[in-house]
Order: sequence, then structure tokens, then C-alpha cells
Amino acid sequence: MHFKRQWSVYLWYLVIFIGLIITILPFWWGVAASFKSNTEIFRDLAPINYKAFLPGFSLDSYFAIFENDFGRSMLNTFFVSITSVAGGLLINSMAGFAFAQFRFKGDNIIFGFVLLSFAVPADAIAIPLFKMMRQIGWFDTFYALIIPMLANGLIIFLYRQFFLGIPKELIEAARVDGLSWFGVFWRICLPLSVPVTLGAGLLLFVFQWESYLWPLIAAPSPELHLIQVTLGRFSTEYEMVWNQQFAASSIAGFLPLVFIYMFQKQFVSALTGVEQK
Amino acid sequence: MVPYLFLAPALIGTIAFKLYPIFIGFWESLIYTSFSGGAEKRIFVWFENYQYLFDDKIFWKSLEITAFLTIIINPLQIAMSLGLALLLMRKSKFIRIIRSLYLLPIGIALPIATIIWGLMLDPNQGLINGLIGVFGIPPQPFLVSENQALWCIIAIATWKGVAFWMLFLLAGLEDIPKQYYEAAEIDGATPFQKFRYVTIPQLKRTILFVFVADTAANFVLMVPMIILTKGGPLQSTNVLIYEGYRSGFYYQDWGRSLSIITILTVITLIVIGLQLLFLSEKNEGIKVK
Repeated sequence: MHFKRQWSVYLWYLVIFIGLIITILPFWWGVAASFKSNTEIFRDLAPINYKAFLPGFSLDSYFAIFENDFGRSMLNTFFVSITSVAGGLLINSMAGFAFAQFRFKGDNIIFGFVLLSFAVPADAIAIPLFKMMRQIGWFDTFYALIIPMLANGLIIFLYRQFFLGIPKELIEAARVDGLSWFGVFWRICLPLSVPVTLGAGLLLFVFQWESYLWPLIAAPSPELHLIQVTLGRFSTEYEMVWNQQFAASSIAGFLPLVFIYMFQKQFVSALTGVEQK
Repeated sequence: MVPYLFLAPALIGTIAFKLYPIFIGFWESLIYTSFSGGAEKRIFVWFENYQYLFDDKIFWKSLEITAFLTIIINPLQIAMSLGLALLLMRKSKFIRIIRSLYLLPIGIALPIATIIWGLMLDPNQGLINGLIGVFGIPPQPFLVSENQALWCIIAIATWKGVAFWMLFLLAGLEDIPKQYYEAAEIDGATPFQKFRYVTIPQLKRTILFVFVADTAANFVLMVPMIILTKGGPLQSTNVLIYEGYRSGFYYQDWGRSLSIITILTVITLIVIGLQLLFLSEKNEGIKVK
């Protein structure tokens, strides 16, 4: 019996280990190769040897990508992500507050529409939205990259759930003291909602940082390229320049990973709606 | 009045940029744009764009590939993420770090994953061909082969997808009260019985959500096609969403493009509706609480 139990543990470790290799291999190889010259990368692969998995010491590929306008697209992405986080948090938390605090005509129907909206995948409406941007003149501007992405049903939902938990007495007391509804929202409810705000803000940030299809079609000018679009461009324009593709991918992948790991708890709570212990 | 003021910005955004585009998409699918004589001319043609589509072999092939992809990728991703989530519920000294490592792909954007995997699967100098060569397997064409390209895309999307969907299943598993398992153990339940009569019923809502959301996400999977295969080789990865994208952005045939998108949206809604109908009905039967 004891012998059998041991084996199940070994089997577990074996399966977990194989899974881990498959999960980590692309990261490891990509980051290791980003510090090499292309000649080195190809030499280590044909025939394959252990050196393929050891990092190189060269920063040339990193300097090279910044000469290829990578810095510009990073700045663009920072600008778009940060404005989206600020704007998105404000308007969605306001809507969440409205759904939590007030009973009003049509509230259930409107809330139904909000829930419906987050069942619509962004990529499915990208083409009609693109036609719409051309009609209203936002095509190929920062407006097209930011404004359509602000309203977010999931984040409205998260704030609504959180605001529902704030004691009614607290809000009534503030109202009796003469605070306006906006004051109640801004000075009482919002400061209490730090955990939701962290998670929701991270979702909005990662969403913009990782978006590809929409910026690709909505803002084709090189001055407006976001980071994922630039990466895609590298992979076709510099098809054989592997080390630059690896360096660009490493930088683009690094930041969201750091943020997600720093605020893992809030991120998972926001995404899954389950409170993390 | 006050509630509507709070609601207005987000509500306008939702209606204008999330719901209204669905209607524009349908409306524009009824219009034919001709460029004869340099002038753009829009003609309302009712369902003519759809008629052309139904006579088009490329469309039917694309529909077939979409159906095939849907049938393979969704059960595969759900089974793998559920299996992995269960494996990661085991107690171990290293479980925190192991979990964190398994969740890494969530932080990696799909374009990045696509590019790195594209280089790994390179037929001439790729890492994978190097690795399988060690075991004496001859080099494979992967993404440049009509028979393997779609499977490679399934692998790439699954590498990223399993980590993401597992996050929900892990959260769901953590949420099941430990007492249920203890009670089952006292009753002498085997591990399989515990899985069948405690885990599955308790996790049913999470599984249903993940299944529906995963299906919706995979219907619009096209980043690997845009970056790596362009729908090829020989249309073997030309799913509906990519055919719609290509009709519009490569050939400027917006009527065709939006007809395809509209058809895809209807298919998505029908499939999700069926999933909800069949899977949530069974849910009522096995209530444990």
C-alpha cells in the first residue's frame, strides 16, 4: 500500500514536470536567444546542443529594436494604456455606483444590456467598429484606440458587486450631513474600493497592452503603432532577424507579467469574481 | 435624474461601441460597394451578398474548417485545464511556485506567444525539429504543411488558453467547502466517487462558464492566422473570422466581409445557446446542496 502511494507521488511529479517544461520552454528559449547574435542562435540549433538553452551576453538586439521605432510604440502603448485605465475606471465605477445605489426606471433592462455587452467578443465587432470609426472621422487617431475600449461590462459588474456591500447607513449619514451624490461616490465609496480598483485597473491595463487586432486595423499609421502591432510587423519585415523578434517579445511580455505577479490576488479576483484568500 | 447622470458615460460607450456595431455589421452586409469609374457607389442589395457566399466554395471550406476547429479545440482546452487544475490542487511543498509557473502564459499576449511558437516551429531551424531530431524523428514541416498547420495553431492557442481557463477552474475548486470532501471520505468514497459526486456537481457552474466563454473566444481566434499562416497553406487554416477579415482588408469587399461576420455571430449565438440549454438543464438534476 505504501509502495503504491509512493508511485502515485512520483507519477504526479513526472506529469507536472513535463507540463512545466512545455509551459516554460518558449519563455526560456526566447529570453536566452534574445541575448545572442543570429549566427549564434542558428549555430546552437543546427545540430541542436545544450548551448541553445544558455543565455548569450550581447545586448545588440535590444539596441537594434530601439533603432527600429520600438521605443515609439512603447510610449504609445503606455499613453493608451494609462489613459484607458484612468478613463475606464472612472466611467465604469460611476455606472457600478448607479446600479448599486439607485432603483430607477429600466434599471434591470439596462443592466441586462451591460451583461450582454461583455458576452460580445471584441474581435467579432472589430470590423463593423472600424467602418464606424471611418464614418465619424476617428479612424487612424488615438481616439479610435482609446474611447471605444473604455466602457466595460465586466468592470461595471465588479464595481456594482462591491458597492452593494457598503452599508446603507454610512451613505445615509453622509447624505444627512449634506454631501452630494457625487460627493458620496467620490469621497466615500471610491476610496473604499481599493481592492476592486487594483484588479479592474490591471485588467484594463493588460487588455490594452496586449491588444493587437483593433490597433492593427484602427490605427495603421506607424506613428500610432502599439507594441503588439510593432511585434507583428517585426515578425514579417525582419523574418530572419530572430534575435530582434526575441528581444522585442521579451520587453513586451515583461511588464504585464510583473504587474500580474505583483497583484496576483486582485487580478484573479477581478477576473474570476471569486474572493481570493 | 441623478442615476442616469452616473450611468450615462459608460452606457453611451457600451451602446455606441459594443452593441451598435453588431447592427452596423448586419446593415452593411446588405450593401454592395462598387468602385466603377473611381467613384465609390453603395447599392442596397438585400441578401445578394449572402447568396454569393452560399455559391462560393471558399466560404464552405472555411465553414468546414471553423466547425472542425471548434469541435477539437474547445473540449481539448477544457479537458486539459480541468485535468491540470485537479493536479494542481494536490498539496506539495512546491505547489505555490509550480502554480505560478503554470500560470505564466496568462501574462503573455497572444501575438508574442504566436511569434515565439512560430520560430520554435520553423521547419528549417526551429527548436522543435531540433528536439525531436534527438529522438530520431525526421524534421516536420509544421506551419507550412496543409495537414499540420491547423494542429500547430491549436497547440499555440491551447498553450495560452489552458493557463487562462485553468485560473477559473482553480478558483472554483478552491471555493468548494472542504467539509464536503471530509463527509464523502467518512462515507467511504473512493477518489473517483469524490470527483464524480462532489467535485463535478460543485464545479458545474464554473465549467459551464469556461466552456461557453472559451467557445466564444475560439470562434474569433485569428491572431496566429494573421501573423503566421495567412489562412494557408492551401486555405487549411482559413477559418471564418479570418476569411471575413481578409475579404475586407485585402480585397475591400466589405459586403462579403460583413456577411461572413454576421453569419459567424449567428453561429456563435446558436452554439452558445445550445450549450446553455443542454448543460444547465442537467445541472438542475444533480443538485447536492
